[in-house]
Amino acid sequence: MSGRPSRWLTGFAVATYVILFAPIVVLIVFSFNNARRGFTWQGFTLDWYPKLLRNTEMLDALRVTLEVALIAVIGATILGSLLGLGLARLRFRGAGAVQTLLLLPIMTPEIIMGISLLVFFSQLFGLNGSIGQIAIAHIMFCISYVAIVVRARAVSLDPRLEEAARDLGASAVGAFRHVTLPLLAPAVAAGAMLAFALSFDDLVVTSFNTGVGSTTLPVQIYSAIRFGVTPQINAISTIIVAIVAIALLIAWRLGAFRTTASVVVSEPEAA
Amino acid sequence: MTERHLPGIGFNEALEQKLAKANWSRREFLARVAAFGAATALTQLLIACGQGGGSPSAGAPTSGPTPEGSTTAEATPTAAPTAVPEPEDELFVLNWDQYIGEETVAKFQDKYGIKVTYDNFADETEQIGKIQRGGNGGGWDIHYPASTWVPTFVTDGLIQKIDHSLIPNLQNLNAAWQSPAYDADNSYSVPNMWWTTGYAWDPRDIPGDLTSWAELWNPARDNQMSMLDDIRECFAAGAFRLGLDPNTKDLGELDRILALLEEQKPLLRDYTATDQIDYMIDEVVQMAHCWSGDWVQMTYTKPRMRYVIPSEGSIKGNDVMVISSGAPHPIAAHLWIDFNLDADISAENTNYIGYMGPNDAALPKIEGYIKDDPRLNPPQEILDQLIELAYLQPADLAQYTDRWNALRA
Amino acid sequence: MTSAAAPAELEGAPATPAAAGARRSGAAATGILVFPGVLWLAVFFLVPLGIMAVVSLGAVDPGGHVTLANPGLGNYGHALDPEFLPALGRSVYYAIVTTALSLAIGYPVAYWISRYGGRHKILLLILVMLPFWTSYLIRTYAWMAILRDNGVINSLLLDVGLIDQPIPMLNTDFSVILGMTYGFLPFAILPLFVSIDRLDFSLVQAARDLYASGRGAFLHVTLPLTMPGLVAAGLLTFIPALGDYVTPDVLGGADTTTVANLIQVIFTAGRDWPYGSALGFLLMGVTLIGTLAALRSLRREVIGMNA
Repeated sequence: MSGRPSRWLTGFAVATYVILFAPIVVLIVFSFNNARRGFTWQGFTLDWYPKLLRNTEMLDALRVTLEVALIAVIGATILGSLLGLGLARLRFRGAGAVQTLLLLPIMTPEIIMGISLLVFFSQLFGLNGSIGQIAIAHIMFCISYVAIVVRARAVSLDPRLEEAARDLGASAVGAFRHVTLPLLAPAVAAGAMLAFALSFDDLVVTSFNTGVGSTTLPVQIYSAIRFGVTPQINAISTIIVAIVAIALLIAWRLGAFRTTASVVVSEPEAA
Repeated sequence: MTERHLPGIGFNEALEQKLAKANWSRREFLARVAAFGAATALTQLLIACGQGGGSPSAGAPTSGPTPEGSTTAEATPTAAPTAVPEPEDELFVLNWDQYIGEETVAKFQDKYGIKVTYDNFADETEQIGKIQRGGNGGGWDIHYPASTWVPTFVTDGLIQKIDHSLIPNLQNLNAAWQSPAYDADNSYSVPNMWWTTGYAWDPRDIPGDLTSWAELWNPARDNQMSMLDDIRECFAAGAFRLGLDPNTKDLGELDRILALLEEQKPLLRDYTATDQIDYMIDEVVQMAHCWSGDWVQMTYTKPRMRYVIPSEGSIKGNDVMVISSGAPHPIAAHLWIDFNLDADISAENTNYIGYMGPNDAALPKIEGYIKDDPRLNPPQEILDQLIELAYLQPADLAQYTDRWNALRA
Repeated sequence: MTSAAAPAELEGAPATPAAAGARRSGAAATGILVFPGVLWLAVFFLVPLGIMAVVSLGAVDPGGHVTLANPGLGNYGHALDPEFLPALGRSVYYAIVTTALSLAIGYPVAYWISRYGGRHKILLLILVMLPFWTSYLIRTYAWMAILRDNGVINSLLLDVGLIDQPIPMLNTDFSVILGMTYGFLPFAILPLFVSIDRLDFSLVQAARDLYASGRGAFLHVTLPLTMPGLVAAGLLTFIPALGDYVTPDVLGGADTTTVANLIQVIFTAGRDWPYGSALGFLLMGVTLIGTLAALRSLRREVIGMNA
């Protein structure tokens, strides 16, 4: 029942959100810092924003990063969700092996993964890095995350629901679409969000797979440490957060986050 | 015909690659050769008439002297400079971010109409991996490795010989850089930036003039110091304190250095090769083992910071520009190198990033605080005493690595 | 009913709801669902990893290249260096504490979102993720600005007069664990949420009606039913935490070195891919064995709890 939460619980949750956003607030503030580098306040300036907009290299890197993330999220979400559902649902020989296989990429030190892909792509295929190559790598390490999250949800789904739909005349695909998928939707969405964060911010594996014209934003930012991490980086992060926040606000106002589709069956919980 | 004026050995390979890449039909190719020949002839004519027609560098004198030590096979000591073949319209460069003048790329593009793709890498291992990728430079034309890699790259065929006739600005180089130890006569590389190692401190917390490496072992500064997260640099600091060679391979000496570093570790706040600048600016540490360019960056925000090249001796290093053996745009690559050796551009690079270049002609335009500072631009006597970190064979390097891991673990 | 009496699904556990779907385990269904992902992983993960496994048996020749002239397990012997034990201890310590904190913080938050988020559930989840769509490096530098001796926290506390001396927080175990927990929190909250969200709260209500205490209802109903989420969150936090070398490097100090840092050094400054690979595989082996053992014992315990 949607009773009222205890004050402690709400306070705890709010405090957690505050901590989650604390460094973001700091980085936004220091995007106006009038110093070439460092997080010591030297005065206010708006200069970094126009400078950023003229910084074609950084904007290019952002574009590459977003392109990779888009491909990676789509690929990993599809492959990972199917995998997670399959593991939860089906009893098949080798399920244990597949489960272990899922854990391996998460366990592999990133530099080993990165170098292995460098050697793999260049020695076996003569490839010299590209957006596609980076995206392939990202899909690879994101599948595990999506699969594990979707599986956690899928194991508690009653397959008899889908069977009931079949009994009532739905096709296999239709039952999947109208029964299973809506029930899995939050997990798929969660997996996609995790995949996006992983892909957007990935450094080591990506760095070994970039080629001409495909430098990503994390690589460029790390590259700048030695010689100049200007507040332009704060500025670009601020702009990203601002754009996403505004998009969320608009979507929320338009009612995009209304009740999720989990109400098809069971819960006597008030909608 | 125009044979005598064709540039160095790399050109034929480059031409083949370009052909393959462009999938030119035979007719197209012949047409272009004819055009090239015509352009060359025309250029010769113009130059002979005393105009700087096809010369790549605005500052180069028309009667180009052969640069010292040029190894171009066909180069004849003629008075007329080599004609520049038509450059490609793109260039691929791989370098640290921000490691070049703010306007350099834009100015190069404006001057030659060549589109530059300027990519970055996050650390040296990645950079080397990319240079080695495919055995020919990984797809880029220009790389900026540390100088100690050059002999290995030459042996492995990763970089190509540089045609000095296309780089008249080589004469701008300081005499000391005309034939460095790692690459006689700059056949395969051109020096880019050089630096010294020392340490910086905040005079507000530590008054007085410091001169010795021993200051980094001072227990009074417990938790106020950082050392570079760099095996060779830390061992070098220890070596200098003990009066040993920083390139030593003697295991006994290495053990002594390790013992000294172990003494130091409890006093340190951190080992870092990237955060020392911010640590000093943000007053996280009072003293930081660092490179000369780091110190310049500190002073942009906190001008009071001081730096010293310790008296027991220290390290100097440099990096170079090289052209990949598989460079898709070799002519443009040569132009890039020449452009960066131009006096104005070289000075702009130095002024922006705070590292000294090897360029004598640029000196008048380098800001005083860099040029006149003996710590950033030491006089030759001091420079001669500084030691370069030599390339170590894997077996020797392993001795360093093992001890370093024992120290850090 | 659906899942009241059934233990949570763990590796290979005969969970009732899913096992009831055994009728559907036709080869075609398995193929469509599982095969594409497995194929992708096999080609783009296992094969490259296999290359590194072979590399780990080799050595570096005087020219600096990997050579397989004398393959052997020498690198593994080299990697089993007792000098590395403190680093290994630190890796495990950081990972365990980070996971425990992430779960302890993540569970209430996920519960709160699921139970009381109502219409705004997805929005609240996105807000959890939003900070992580910025650059890791800048977030970490922001933490340094918050934690350092003259940073936000210390300045505030000094101004208010709560302390006389700044509290040293940066470059310590504390800052490493804080940074790691912060970084892994979304990886705990999201999986926990998807599992808690499936919870039928009427079951909890029923338990209370049957005179269970709040704690009892939680331990015997809520917790076991959300076990899949806990396991997923635990896996997605603990395993990557073991391999995290960046946070101990940036937020840590001279004494926070982990095995992941050592591997990094061997590959980069040490230029020894074979040796680095061997140490990496050893770490992976330890992680795999540890994880599988923990999952197995967890399954036994959970089944026991509900027996």
